[in-house]
Amino acid sequence: MPKRLDQARPFLTLGLVVAAWLIVPTVIKTFTRASFFELTAPVSVAASYARDLQEYWSLRLRSNSELIEAGRDLARLNASYDLAVQQNVEMQGEIARLEAILRLPSYTGYRSEHARVVRRDFSGWWQRLTIRKGKNFNLIVGSPVVFSGGVVGRVSEVFAYTATVDLISSQTVRLAAVVEGDIRPISYQGGLNPTFGSAGGVIEFVPLDIFASASATKRLVTSGLGGVFPPGLTIGSVIKVEPSTDGLFKSGEVKLDDRLAALTEVTVLVPLESY
Amino acid sequence: MASDDHNLADRSGKLFESHKGYDPRVVFFYFITAGLLLLLGGGLAYQQLFRGDLYHDRERAQNQRRILVPGPRGNIYDRHGELLVGNRPRFAVVLYLDELRSRFRTEFIRIRKNYRESDDKELPTADQLWTLARVSVVQSYLEQINAILGRDLKVDAGRLNKHFARDLLLPYPLIEDLPPADYARLIERLPVVSPLQLYTSNTRDYPHASTASHTLGFVGINEDVESDNLSGSDLKTFKMRGSIGRDGLEFKFDDLLQGEAGGSVFRVDPLGYRLRDTKAVETLLPVQGKNLVTSIDLDLQLTAEQAIGDQVGAAVAIDVRTGEVLVLASKPDYDLAKFAPRLSHAEAADITARGAWTNLAISGAFPPGSTFKILTSIAGMRAGVIDPAEPLDNCQGTVRIGNRPFVCNNARGRHGEILLPGAIAQSCDIYYFAAGRLMTHERLAAEGRRFHLHERTGIELPNETRRMIMPDSDYKERVFGEKWFPGDTANASIGQGYVLVSPLQMACFAASVARNEVHTPPTLVHRPDAPTLKTESIGLTPAQRSALVEGMVLTVTEGTAKALNIDQFKIPGVRLAGKTGTAQKVVTKDGKTGIINYAWFICFAPADNPEIAMAVMIEGDTIGEEFGGGRNAGPVAATVIKKYFENKNRPADQKITPFKVE
Repeated sequence: MPKRLDQARPFLTLGLVVAAWLIVPTVIKTFTRASFFELTAPVSVAASYARDLQEYWSLRLRSNSELIEAGRDLARLNASYDLAVQQNVEMQGEIARLEAILRLPSYTGYRSEHARVVRRDFSGWWQRLTIRKGKNFNLIVGSPVVFSGGVVGRVSEVFAYTATVDLISSQTVRLAAVVEGDIRPISYQGGLNPTFGSAGGVIEFVPLDIFASASATKRLVTSGLGGVFPPGLTIGSVIKVEPSTDGLFKSGEVKLDDRLAALTEVTVLVPLESY
Repeated sequence: MASDDHNLADRSGKLFESHKGYDPRVVFFYFITAGLLLLLGGGLAYQQLFRGDLYHDRERAQNQRRILVPGPRGNIYDRHGELLVGNRPRFAVVLYLDELRSRFRTEFIRIRKNYRESDDKELPTADQLWTLARVSVVQSYLEQINAILGRDLKVDAGRLNKHFARDLLLPYPLIEDLPPADYARLIERLPVVSPLQLYTSNTRDYPHASTASHTLGFVGINEDVESDNLSGSDLKTFKMRGSIGRDGLEFKFDDLLQGEAGGSVFRVDPLGYRLRDTKAVETLLPVQGKNLVTSIDLDLQLTAEQAIGDQVGAAVAIDVRTGEVLVLASKPDYDLAKFAPRLSHAEAADITARGAWTNLAISGAFPPGSTFKILTSIAGMRAGVIDPAEPLDNCQGTVRIGNRPFVCNNARGRHGEILLPGAIAQSCDIYYFAAGRLMTHERLAAEGRRFHLHERTGIELPNETRRMIMPDSDYKERVFGEKWFPGDTANASIGQGYVLVSPLQMACFAASVARNEVHTPPTLVHRPDAPTLKTESIGLTPAQRSALVEGMVLTVTEGTAKALNIDQFKIPGVRLAGKTGTAQKVVTKDGKTGIINYAWFICFAPADNPEIAMAVMIEGDTIGEEFGGGRNAGPVAATVIKKYFENKNRPADQKITPFKVE
């Protein structure tokens, strides 16, 4: 009898802990959860720095000629980016001038914060990234996150030195999109994605005169109407649309960029004016 | 032990108590117990086997609710697949009240506590407290919307309470008819998981506003949406509002256009809230109604309406071969876009004030004037009183019939002795007075009936007039109690007096004459493989037919419609055959009595191998105003006919790509 009790002790303890957790006030739970993230964040960040260091040393093992060649390529890229930046500045000036002439309201301004990806957290329920910047860089919950291929997602939580980004493949992200060349807003939402499969999303309220298929895809971009994402950012490719039975709209599927699962660096667009 | 034995012996009266295994008194209780058990078992079996369904139904009725969502109506297209009536989405932001139950209760307790703590002697009743709690919670969600959209909306307590009382299971609409920009903002800024959700319904969409408004008709609210395919007709049902055809094609083809309602059956708790985290017992998606492809040609319809402009009148064009109606225009009209989602009282009053409700093309009955002379000509020739090669009378500008002088209104001087083609072209009244007198009014009325001018055409529209009249002696005796006079025959022979027809009837008549037949049943439904109509022949000899058509061609080239013989209306290679008419009616308007004119023009083209027939009627709105068929109605018809042949002869690569109806 005592032996049997002894064997049951772990279950009893677990039951007591669960019962205790259930009756603990929500404030304490939230605090505990936040504290957990804050305490583990340095470990994740340190691991991220270690990975960077590892990459650095792995590059150092390359031959001098390889490094010199890579340096040249980098210099060329930098030069082309400098040129593109200069052109963009000129274009922005032109856009501002035209907007002033037409008295159009200007889009919300953003401050760009580039951040390294610390951790990727993909499951059937959510798809998230942890990035290496947080309150220390004044990131704001809800800020859009982008990369060279388009939209990454939105900042869902901000901690002291890290932030969590919900990817657009996550069901918790919804945004107002348009099919490229069209102006009518449609609703995009992350789909139910497998942990290691290619990511996708769903679109709803698609006008009936929009057609797309796997062989004739359409680019889905942000509308800019929602006020969160600037317009024209790529979301993905519409690979299927089919009419609903009520004949009002179509709904469809969107294939997202495969690079979303392998991002190492992203840019957070922090609104200059909080909405 | 000894003491016990002693007691037993005392009780039994014997020294040794003997056990008897069988006692009839106990057996009696066995039967009673068995009977009771049987009764209990039987009762249970009865309840389970025979009344089980009843209890199951009661349980369902108590625990389940049904929501019906109407299916969108089918679209209406023109004959080339251009959308005339469709559906447009209405975006709304709604609040799912069943997810807020615990919040309502918490708020109720908080408000009650506040009242108690403030020592307020006038503590609200429980109902009032519930109202306060509901408004407070719903307002907190509305504030989220206000913050996103920059609005300052407040919850209407009365409307909210009504919703709780009647439509608890339906989402409560906070804002309806969101513009696309607001809808887009809410998509991005509302949490994905929240009692606040975006909701789409639909309403009728009229991309061409007032075009063909009388023909297309409009819809009204249908509170009684039904579904045979969703189970639970015995359950308490919440119905979303649908729409039902009230006028025009929307009314006539309501069964076809009406979508199939869908909906869901949900489990609810004893208070009627939907149980959280439970799936619907049954869900059925609504299905859009069937599409209707009409015979209307949008381009011609727009041309006709533009040509009529601000005048009061109607124009009808018919495909001669099939009877399909290409144009059915009536002015003044109304903007159908203002009917969606619902027409305001002010708009309705404006339509009434302008007299725009009436579809003059089918609901109006007017004297046809001289266009009726084509019928008189046919009747006269068939009766043998008109010989196209012989003059019938000598028009000196006036003639005495009975005790009254009758004037030839179209003779600027006198026509003299003219033949049938000239009489048609110059619209000589004296010629037709003689024809009427010689053939008798009964023969004329019979011919009108032969062309079905005395009855409804049967077009697929509501409110077609019954006031058309092909008068004869019986009619006058029955209605006025008077006998028929020779003057009545004279009037009838030139389409005046008691003769009344609708513009649609005259278009059908023109199409019948064009086909050399007596009946053209019109239709608004387009059938690409519709066979050519074949009805009774008019019965004219080739010479008679030729004279009739020649007269109608001369009308346009040198007769009463010679205003159309200009480049603006001429169609290369196409001869237009027509007949003008101007009828008068004595009216009292703004306290002044006088005559207003109805300008008519009927025609078909090409004269040799007719494809399209038309009737146009323009009503003069000012007493004493000069108004004529050739000047006012003719140009409308000529413009439409010219457009018809322009479209027909347009090179294939310039034709509008037909819209594929899926």
